[in-house]
Amino acid sequence: MVSTPQLEPSQHKLADFIHRLEAGKALLQDSPLNVLEVVGILKSYGVVLDAYSNNLIYIANHQFLVFFPFFKYFNGEVNPGKLLKFLWHDRINYEYAEYCMKAMFWHGGGDLDTYLDSSEFLAAIEPVIQAKFKFNPLMLALHRAFPEFLPEQIRQLCYYSALGQFWRVMSDIFIDLSDRYDQGEIQSIPDVVEHILQGLVADANRPITYAVTLKRQVYDLLPPSANLTFLMDTAVPYVEAVFFRGTPFPGTISYNGQAYQIPMFQSDFAYGALYADPLPIGSAGIPPTLLMQDMRHYLPEYLLAVYRQGLRQEEDLKIQICQSFQKSMFCVTTAALQGLAPHPLTTNSIEEQKANRKYLEGWMNRFIPSRLLQVNR
Amino acid sequence: MLSFLVWFPLGGVLLLGVWPKSMDPKYARSVALGVAIALLVWTIYLAFLFNPGQITMQFGEFVPWITAIGLNYHLALDGLSLPLLVLNSLLTLIAIWSTDPEIERPRFYYALMLLLNSSVAGAFLAQDILLFFLFYELEIIPLYFLIAIWGGARRGYAATKFLLYTAFSGIVLLASFLGIVWLSGASSFAYEPLRAIIVGAADTPSGLSLKLQLILMVGILIGFGIKIPFFPLHTWLPDAHVEASTPVSVLLAGVLLKLGTYGLLRYGVGLLPDAWVYLSPWLAVWAAISALYGTSCAILQQDMKKVVAYASIAHMAFILLAAAASTELSMIAAVCQMVSHGLISGLLFLLVGVVYKKTGSRDMFFLRGLLNPERGLPLIGSMMILGVMASAGIPGMVGFISEFLTFRGSFPIFPVQTLFCMLATGLTAVYFLLMINRVFFGRLPDELDHIPSVQWSDRLPAAVLVALIFLLGIQPSFIVRWSETQIAALIPYHPRPPQITSVYQPDQHLTRNSIDVLAQSISIRAAD
Repeated sequence: MVSTPQLEPSQHKLADFIHRLEAGKALLQDSPLNVLEVVGILKSYGVVLDAYSNNLIYIANHQFLVFFPFFKYFNGEVNPGKLLKFLWHDRINYEYAEYCMKAMFWHGGGDLDTYLDSSEFLAAIEPVIQAKFKFNPLMLALHRAFPEFLPEQIRQLCYYSALGQFWRVMSDIFIDLSDRYDQGEIQSIPDVVEHILQGLVADANRPITYAVTLKRQVYDLLPPSANLTFLMDTAVPYVEAVFFRGTPFPGTISYNGQAYQIPMFQSDFAYGALYADPLPIGSAGIPPTLLMQDMRHYLPEYLLAVYRQGLRQEEDLKIQICQSFQKSMFCVTTAALQGLAPHPLTTNSIEEQKANRKYLEGWMNRFIPSRLLQVNR
Repeated sequence: MLSFLVWFPLGGVLLLGVWPKSMDPKYARSVALGVAIALLVWTIYLAFLFNPGQITMQFGEFVPWITAIGLNYHLALDGLSLPLLVLNSLLTLIAIWSTDPEIERPRFYYALMLLLNSSVAGAFLAQDILLFFLFYELEIIPLYFLIAIWGGARRGYAATKFLLYTAFSGIVLLASFLGIVWLSGASSFAYEPLRAIIVGAADTPSGLSLKLQLILMVGILIGFGIKIPFFPLHTWLPDAHVEASTPVSVLLAGVLLKLGTYGLLRYGVGLLPDAWVYLSPWLAVWAAISALYGTSCAILQQDMKKVVAYASIAHMAFILLAAAASTELSMIAAVCQMVSHGLISGLLFLLVGVVYKKTGSRDMFFLRGLLNPERGLPLIGSMMILGVMASAGIPGMVGFISEFLTFRGSFPIFPVQTLFCMLATGLTAVYFLLMINRVFFGRLPDELDHIPSVQWSDRLPAAVLVALIFLLGIQPSFIVRWSETQIAALIPYHPRPPQITSVYQPDQHLTRNSIDVLAQSISIRAAD
C-alpha cells in the first residue's frame, strides 16, 4: 500500500488557523450566530458603503480642486432642509470614508500608487491644472512656486475615485449576500467567504479609471491605458491599508510617540480594522465610531434582536456592532487570503501545500497581535 | 411640631412591627419611603417657618417627664440643629431609596432605619442633656443591628467594635454630663438653665472653675471624639464603613458622625467655654494631626470605601479646627463643614456602593476604565469626579465654601495648625485623584466587560446630592442664613477674658478686623 505524503502540522503560534484555512474553512469559527451576525452587519455595511461610494465619486467628479468644499457631503443637493439635517447631524458620516481614503493614500501599494508617482501621470494632469485655473493667475503662480501641491491634491482625488469604485463593487457584494441569506442560500461562514470570494473574482479585472470634465473637455486622470484593476490596485491596497495597517488615530489607541511606541516603518503598522479594540470606541468623532453610528441605522431586525438580548441591550450597541463588524472583516480577509494564495488552499499536491503553508505562515505572523483569538472566543 | 420628627418615624417602626408576615415585603419599603418623604417635607416646612434672626430656641415643646431626677421631654430648634435635621431627613430618604428592594428581612431593616432617624432627630432637638444622651444611646442600637445583620463578611467584628467604642463613648459622656449638672448645682438637666448657670452673664468667665471644666472637658472630648471620630479614637470607623451596606454607610458618614461634632459644639463649646478656650490651641493641633493622619491613611488604601472613610476622618477634623478657633466666621464654617461633609461623603459612599454593586469589587488595583461610555459606568464615574472635586474644595461647590470659611476663620487664631489642615485638604486631591485615575480611567479590562447597566433609580439619589452640592456651592447663604445669628451666641467670649487668653494670645487687632470683614461679607451674601 502506498501512503499519500502528508504535510507536517504547522508549528506556528496560530497553527490552528493555518490548518483551518488549509481545510477550506474560514478564520472565523462557523456557527449559526456568527453567520447571522456577519450577514446582518454586512447588510448594513453594504447600505452604508453605497452612500460612501456615491459621495466619494461625487467629490472626485464635482469637487475637483475646490479648496473650500463646504457642501462636499451634500452630493449636489443643497437646500435648507438638508442643511438643517446636516447641522443636526441627521446624516451619514462621510468623514469615515475620507478617513479610509486617506489611509489608502498614505500607505499606498499596488500599481495605482506607482502610477500616481509616474511622469506619465504628471504629464496627464498638467493640462487639467492649466484648464482649471486658466483665469486664476494666483493659483497658477502658486502652482509654479509649489509644483508639488496641486499634483498631490489630484492624487488624493484619484484615491477618492478609486475607493468609491472599489466600494461600489463591495456594496453590491454585501447586499447580494444578504439577499441570498434571506433566501436560505447562505448557511455557513464558508458560504459567506465563498460568496465574497466569487464577488472579488468576478470583478477582479474591472478597470479602475477616473476622468474629469472641465468646460466640456474630458481629462483622463486614470486612463484605461494605465491598466489599473479592481482587485490588485484597489482591493489589495485597501485591505493592507485599512484592515491591517490603519493609523494610530488618537482615541482608538493610546501611545507615546516620543517613546517610540509607534513603529518606525509604515509597513509595521498594526492599527487596522483587524486589530481595533472595540472597547475604547465610543467617544464621538473617532473614525470607527462614525462607521458604527452609520451602520446602526441600517441593522436588520434579526440582528437588532440579538443585540437586544445582551446584558446592556442597546446601551452598548456600537461596541456590539464593532465586534460583529470585526468578525465580518475576518471573513472578508479569509476570502482575500484564499483569492491571493499561490494555489487553491485545499490542494492535494504536496508542493503546492508547502507553498501555501509558507504563504499562510507569513500572513499569520501579522495576525498574532490581531483580534483573531478574541473574535473566535 | 418638632415631636412629629421623633414620633412619626416611631409610628412607622410600630407599623412595620405589627405588619403581618404574610403581606408582600415590598410594602415595607413603600411604608418606609412614605414616612421618610413625609419627614423630609415636614423638615423643609419647619425650615420655612424658622426665624433665622431670632437668637433664642424656636418651636419649643416641653412635657415634664421624670421630674424627680430632673429629666424632661424638651425639644427645640436653633440654627445649629436645623441644618443637621434637614440633612438627617434627606439622607434617610436617600438611604431608604438606595436600599436593595430585594433585601432580606425588610420589615426589620426598614424599622431600624426609621428608628435611627428618630433617635438622631431626637438628639439634635433635645434641650435636656439627659434626653440628648438617651437619644444618643438609642441610635447605637439600630446602627449596631444594621451593620451586624446586613453588613459584609466581617460584619460581626465591625459591629462589635462599633458597639464597644460607642458604648464607651456613651459612658464617658454620661459621666461628664452628670458631673456638669452636679458640680454646677443645677436642679435639672435642662440645657439653657444649665448654660445660664455655668456661663452666667454674657462675656464673663463661667461659674464652674477652669480646673473642673478641664476635667469634664476631657470626658466630652473623648466621648464625642470617638463618635466623630478623631485620631487615635477612630479605628472603629473604617471597619464599620467597609462592612456596612451602602445605605448604612451613607447615614453613618452623612449624619451619625455629626452627632459628635454637634455635641462638641453644643456641650463642649456651649457648656464648658473656659476649658474650651483654654484647650483650643491644643484642640487645633489635634485637628491638624487628625486631618493629616486621615489623609495619609487614605493615600495608602486599596479599598475605595476605606479611602472615603479615611477622607471622612480628615474632613471631620476641620470642624474641630473651626470650633477651636471659635470666631464668628469659623463657627459658621463648622456648621457649613458639617453640612458639606454630610452631602459629599454621602455622595461618595453612594457612588462607591453603585460601583461595588455593579462590579462586585472596590479594589482600586482591580477596577479600571469604568468611565467607558458604553460598557462602563460613565455617569456614576462623572458624578464621582464631581464629588471628589467638591471634597477637594474646588470653587463652585459646597466643599469650597466650607473649607474656605474654615481656613479663613481659623487662620488668624491658629495660623500654623490651619496651614497643616490646608495641607491635608490639598492632599485630598492626591488620594482622590489616585482613586479616580485607577478606577475610572484607562481601558476597561476584559474581566469588567460585562457590567450590568445602571438604572436611573441608582443614579437619582446621587444626582440629587450633586445638585445640592452645586446649589450650596453657588449660594452658600442657604446654609449660612439659618445659623449665622444663633451660632454667634455659642461663641465663648468676645473678647476672650485675659485670665484665659493669657495662655494663648493671638493678634487681637488683626483677628477682629479680619473676622469683621469676613463676617460682613458673609452677611452681605446672606442678605442677597
